[in-house]
Amino acid sequence: MDETHAVRLTGVSKRFADTYAVRDLNLDIEAGLFFSLLGPSGCGKTTSLRMIGGFTDPTEGSVLLAGEDVTALPPNKRNVNTVFQSYALFDHLSIADNVAFGLKRKGVEKAEIRRRVGEMLELVQLDGFAGRKPRTLSGGQRQRVALARALVNRPAVLLLDEPLAALDLKLRRQMQVELKQIQREVGITFVFVTHDQDEALTMSDRICVMNEGRVEQCGTPEDVYEHPASRFVASFMGTSNLMTGTYRGGEVTLDQGPALPVGPRAAIADGTPVSVSLRPEKVWLSDFEPGMSVLRGVIRDTVYSGPTTTYLIELAPGVTLSVLEQNTARARMEDRWSGGETVEFGWRPEHCLVLA
Amino acid sequence: MTQLSPPATTASPAPDRPAARTRTRRGRADRKPRVLVAVTALFFALLYLPIAVVTLFSFNSQKSLTVFSGFSLRWYRAFAHDDVLISSLGTSLRISLVATAGSIVLGVALALGLVRSRTRLGSLAGLIMLVPLITPEIVTGVASMLLFKGLGVTLSTGTVMVSEITFSISYVTVILRSRVAALNPEVEEAAMDLGATRWQAVRLVTLPALLPAVLASAVLIFALVFDDFVLAYFTTGVDPQPLSVRIYSAIRFGVQPTINAVGTLMLAGSIGLIALALFIPRLFGRRGGLDILSGS
Repeated sequence: MDETHAVRLTGVSKRFADTYAVRDLNLDIEAGLFFSLLGPSGCGKTTSLRMIGGFTDPTEGSVLLAGEDVTALPPNKRNVNTVFQSYALFDHLSIADNVAFGLKRKGVEKAEIRRRVGEMLELVQLDGFAGRKPRTLSGGQRQRVALARALVNRPAVLLLDEPLAALDLKLRRQMQVELKQIQREVGITFVFVTHDQDEALTMSDRICVMNEGRVEQCGTPEDVYEHPASRFVASFMGTSNLMTGTYRGGEVTLDQGPALPVGPRAAIADGTPVSVSLRPEKVWLSDFEPGMSVLRGVIRDTVYSGPTTTYLIELAPGVTLSVLEQNTARARMEDRWSGGETVEFGWRPEHCLVLA
Repeated sequence: MTQLSPPATTASPAPDRPAARTRTRRGRADRKPRVLVAVTALFFALLYLPIAVVTLFSFNSQKSLTVFSGFSLRWYRAFAHDDVLISSLGTSLRISLVATAGSIVLGVALALGLVRSRTRLGSLAGLIMLVPLITPEIVTGVASMLLFKGLGVTLSTGTVMVSEITFSISYVTVILRSRVAALNPEVEEAAMDLGATRWQAVRLVTLPALLPAVLASAVLIFALVFDDFVLAYFTTGVDPQPLSVRIYSAIRFGVQPTINAVGTLMLAGSIGLIALALFIPRLFGRRGGLDILSGS
């Protein structure tokens, strides 16, 4: 038994009628990490979370918490707590009673409950709201109550089901930072479900990208972004120029277009059809370095968005590349390239990734 | 009535005509719809005049039901000393209390079950549950009586209670079903997540959320059962009889002004209950008690 794994799913599947929501899922979540399950809606991430929490029974496989098999245990017998997407606060109870709910069920002493509830409300910056009812709070405040209500029980693992989805963008950004801070402070393993790749990238220690009930890739945010393991991950994590072609000796000849030198990749036979991914921000438009691949293309469109400008460059008929440039050097409109101009653009070969 | 203001910014010459036309249409709408007023007045008169007459004559000093000869509490005193009526009042209150409690417990359980059951049997039960609402009460009454007779059960206050509970469950369930359906299932899950068993989750979280609707339907059921006649008539024993049945038998032998007093007291009680039903939601910090009564 491996005690460093807070959560371990082995061969877990969930079937509803005749469709699999989750298929043969194997996950090892190390203790103390901020772990994100990321994927589009319907990818099985929430179902996976519910199976860890005990709200959904797996059709196959087992769920282990700290090495102990809990597959057959109901939610109230598991040392995990959940922050629900709807917050699911108890409207008839005060904020303090909401937070105290779990401790009361455990039979913790009254004085101890009062102390811990007070501490927790302070942690989520809601001291002074103890006597209020949930209905009188704003969305962000309710979110914090849900967090406090779960954390006060000091669970081994905290499950969060898209907790920020209902907040507006600005509040969401703020809560992302706060959640991460709180996680570091309490040191509890967070399992965070989200469909927002920005959110996953900024908050997580590990990200597990899911698609159609399966894991596509698990790794650090950098791993997953810089070295996507599949076409799906490359396109789901941020934007990517995805092109198809044929691999031949360190180059990929595009189906319609030139050959691109690509980064090293183990064991691909010459003549294999592959996808290549090149991130828009990895492409340079000037000041090329030695060793870069440089090509020429025609600018078809420019999209200015404040700090950056996106150029759409056609490198061969029908093949366009989106290129992102910081507006560091060019501040005025006339200094930027405009449509129809022919430009040179280049990239480091290792940034042009071959995806099977 | 607000005045028509001319278009503020547009300088087009066109608005003159449409404005004039609007004014004539407005004029027609301004006229008082006399027919509607009359119909409404007639409606309220037919609805409330008989009740007003009963109330008025309950304070009559003489036995006459047509001539009011002076104010007195004579008939209230007569009622207070009428052991048979008083015992019937007690019986009716007992029946109402037991039927309310019984149908609330069963109705809430049924509402929870119907909303959460996803089986075909569940939806079938949901449909069958509606049948008592549309069955003529006299059919229910006669059927209940025949059932009790067939089973060899002696008709008594107990049989009235059983019939009234059976009849009232539908009302409770209809009112509560929409409330239960509107509950967020994650709230109960949250309670279990925080260490509650399934039953504790229902008791500590679900039932408190339903409490306003439960209390409002309890008031409604109490009022319905208390003045129910048909079902009580067919299922009651000889002694003691519910108040409604007793009043009916009394009227058959000539109307006593005492009955007016009883009627007025029942009216006052009903108004009190309705006021209570409207007030209950306020206790829970929600506006609009009537929407709770109608169950929406």
